[in-house]
Amino acid sequence: MATESEDVDKLRRASGTRRRQLKGRLFEAALLGATLVGIVSLLVLFGYTAFDAFRPLTASAQWYLLYFGTLVTPTAAFTWYARRNPAVRAANAKAFAVVFGALAVSLLTYVVADSVSPYDVLLYLLFGTVPPLLVGLYARITDERTYSGPAIPVAAVLGLAVAALLYDVLRPLVGIAAQWVAYFGITTLPVAGILGVVVARRWSPRRGITAAAAVLVSTLLVAGGLLAAGIDPSFWVVLFSAFAVPVGYVVGSTVVTESDGRAGVLGPFVLVGGALAGAALERQLAIEGLESYLTPTLLLNSWDGLTASNAGVYPQIVGSVVVVGFMAVLAFPVGIGAAIYLEEYAPNSGWGGRLATLLEVNISNLAGVPSVVYGLLGLALFRNALGFGTGIVVSAAGTLGLLILPIVVVSAQEAVRSVPDSLRQASYGMGASRWQTLRNVVLPESVPGVLTGTILALARAIGETAPLVIIAVATTTYTPPSGLFSSATALPLQIFAASANAKPEFRHGVVPAAAVVLLVLMLLMNTTAIVVRNRYEREY
Amino acid sequence: MSNEPQSVSDSLQRNEFVVRKERLYGRLIAASAVLTILVTVGIILSLSGHALTFWSEISPIAFFTGTNWSPVIGESYGVLPLVSGTLIVTVCSALIALPVGLAAAIYLSEYASERVRSILKPALEILAGVPTVIYGYMALVYVTPLVDSVLPLSLPVVPSGLSLLPEFTVVVPSLRTFNALSASIVVGIMIIPMVSSISEDALSAVPDSLREAAYGLGSSKLDVSTKVVVPSATSGIVASYVLALSRAIGETMAVTMAMGMSPQMPYFPNVLRNLAESSQTMTAAMVQIAGADSYGGGPTYEAMFALGMTLFAITLTMNVLAELVRRRFREAYE
Repeated sequence: MATESEDVDKLRRASGTRRRQLKGRLFEAALLGATLVGIVSLLVLFGYTAFDAFRPLTASAQWYLLYFGTLVTPTAAFTWYARRNPAVRAANAKAFAVVFGALAVSLLTYVVADSVSPYDVLLYLLFGTVPPLLVGLYARITDERTYSGPAIPVAAVLGLAVAALLYDVLRPLVGIAAQWVAYFGITTLPVAGILGVVVARRWSPRRGITAAAAVLVSTLLVAGGLLAAGIDPSFWVVLFSAFAVPVGYVVGSTVVTESDGRAGVLGPFVLVGGALAGAALERQLAIEGLESYLTPTLLLNSWDGLTASNAGVYPQIVGSVVVVGFMAVLAFPVGIGAAIYLEEYAPNSGWGGRLATLLEVNISNLAGVPSVVYGLLGLALFRNALGFGTGIVVSAAGTLGLLILPIVVVSAQEAVRSVPDSLRQASYGMGASRWQTLRNVVLPESVPGVLTGTILALARAIGETAPLVIIAVATTTYTPPSGLFSSATALPLQIFAASANAKPEFRHGVVPAAAVVLLVLMLLMNTTAIVVRNRYEREY
Repeated sequence: MSNEPQSVSDSLQRNEFVVRKERLYGRLIAASAVLTILVTVGIILSLSGHALTFWSEISPIAFFTGTNWSPVIGESYGVLPLVSGTLIVTVCSALIALPVGLAAAIYLSEYASERVRSILKPALEILAGVPTVIYGYMALVYVTPLVDSVLPLSLPVVPSGLSLLPEFTVVVPSLRTFNALSASIVVGIMIIPMVSSISEDALSAVPDSLREAAYGLGSSKLDVSTKVVVPSATSGIVASYVLALSRAIGETMAVTMAMGMSPQMPYFPNVLRNLAESSQTMTAAMVQIAGADSYGGGPTYEAMFALGMTLFAITLTMNVLAELVRRRFREAYE
């Protein structure tokens, strides 16, 4: 035995196995180091930015202890508990999604409607949704399918066109109502309708109607109470119907129907409650808190280039949101249409096949065109050819839309391609036409993929700066955009402009705080995309 | 071939309206696909329109060979200083991103476990997703002071013990506020994922039979990775390099914010001074012209389009080149 192992040892030495092993290990370590170097250096730079934005050294030790006790410990304990039980974990994830999703939606609705004027939003919402809903209802009652399909979008477009043509007549009529009524129309009515349909599908039509009525009545009660107390109920109407109602519904139905995971819905409340309790105690005990630059002032004020404590980026944030939102409306139908053509309609041979190859090559090249060049295209198209003013929402959104079009097409193509052919063939076998297959089988199956790509494209667009600089979007405006043809600005532009400000409280204070806001927006969108993909992606 | 029955009974025939509806939907979808071609046509038309006006006023020879770019003051439109600025950034960022990206690709494709991959891949993708303004800000405010704290450096090339040879040291001077080095570092970081993800696709497309054959001959993992897999994926790796370089050439905000606005011809022979000094790239010059608000037209405004045309031509050539290289590679294994 001993001689055998000696022999092996000798053989090893002779063939240099040890040396080779060491070399292999070193190589692997070097590769890992190279993989990590970019990530680590970016994290270090983020660390510097966050350090300047939050100034963690300004807070006292008590402050950290306080929040450790009220926020970190309970949240960590709850997360640890929730992770051990899959049902609790699922309920927890659902509660987090609805609380923060509804919060984001209600804040966005209020902020955008506030800057554009709630009456305009209400007017276009009414004329854009009521006619197609009526057509849909008629189709459902009479069971008519041939004409109602195309009639619904046509009704929406006609309704919007009527609203735009008769704007001067209709606007004063809508304007008679109090402002909170307009917000009631924008948020409470759709929320009540959606909730009613959801409840009716899940339980019974009667319960659906009760739920919708309950939403309307309770929102009116809230508004009435606030009016009696002399407070403008606009914001609270939005918050109640778009935040409290969906949260209440999801949390309530989870508690009732899922007895195993019931405790999981507490997750977001532990987090938010901990933060609120910490804030209350901080004020009560007069503890020296964080002198961060990321304050409500930064989020709600307009820009001030002289005093850092007064500077805010509210118009910039709203501008970014409005521009990117309108861009989505412009670019996504076209992008998804192009993807469907390439994947479903394009022939493989002949002239059509050549066209499809050309389209593919063209899209991959468009994705490689530098973003400044899109700025020049936007400048030539919107300013010189169409004669739009400089820096308005439409031209900014159009330019960004052209920029992200190839990204949308490529990601939507991947989503459509991942739908297995067996589903299509089953649909054709049942006698469905190409369009019916597309509408009822392919599109619903590819929604998660399309949605993921869409959100990633939005995240890319919200950080784009160069094309906006080229089409001369103003870096600083003091009011958020009031319509599609009013001038707007965007958050990254303000960061670009303000980074030239050499004052330390700007360079190492307000600018990193604004950068943190932009990064948080972008990372939130990326996380949402990943969550959507992981949750809804199916393996075929 | 197709012997379709001519007399299909009426109940099987679709209603004519439905047929028309289907056709309309098909056309709408095709129209949105054709719109993407119109975008390219629009880019070419809008760029060439203004650029040709510019080149009819200032001769293309003066534009492409001039060594002085001062559109506002001197009215001289020599593009070479801007090209040199772009080249400096591209070369330096490539020095960072190409080896690092390839190493990351080899690690992810050959070494990493499924779990590690699922964490590292999205993390690398984030490098490309961070808005470039934020990169620019970080380069200007954090990278420059950080790098500058170890500068100026003098590195003796010849060890001082050898007294026979003349003394020769490389001096890296301390950095200006705006400098090419920090801009190149952040551009390098942001193009790492371009290299790593496309190279990784190429590496994982190498068939396992090649790896197994090499292992069967007694190769170690190191040998398999470096002598079999990487050479077999060369064309994919080259394509990823070309795409990353094209991205670095077109990068705008980071170089505008960190590298400054002073066009320079390269310093020679003291090459390293180029890194420490401020310079200007083609993209930054376009931003400067757009920011100067000279929208009345005139040669400066049109010069922006001429620069854009040049940039578009360069990046388009590189992208087509990368695509061609990649095509060849695809044919090899399918």
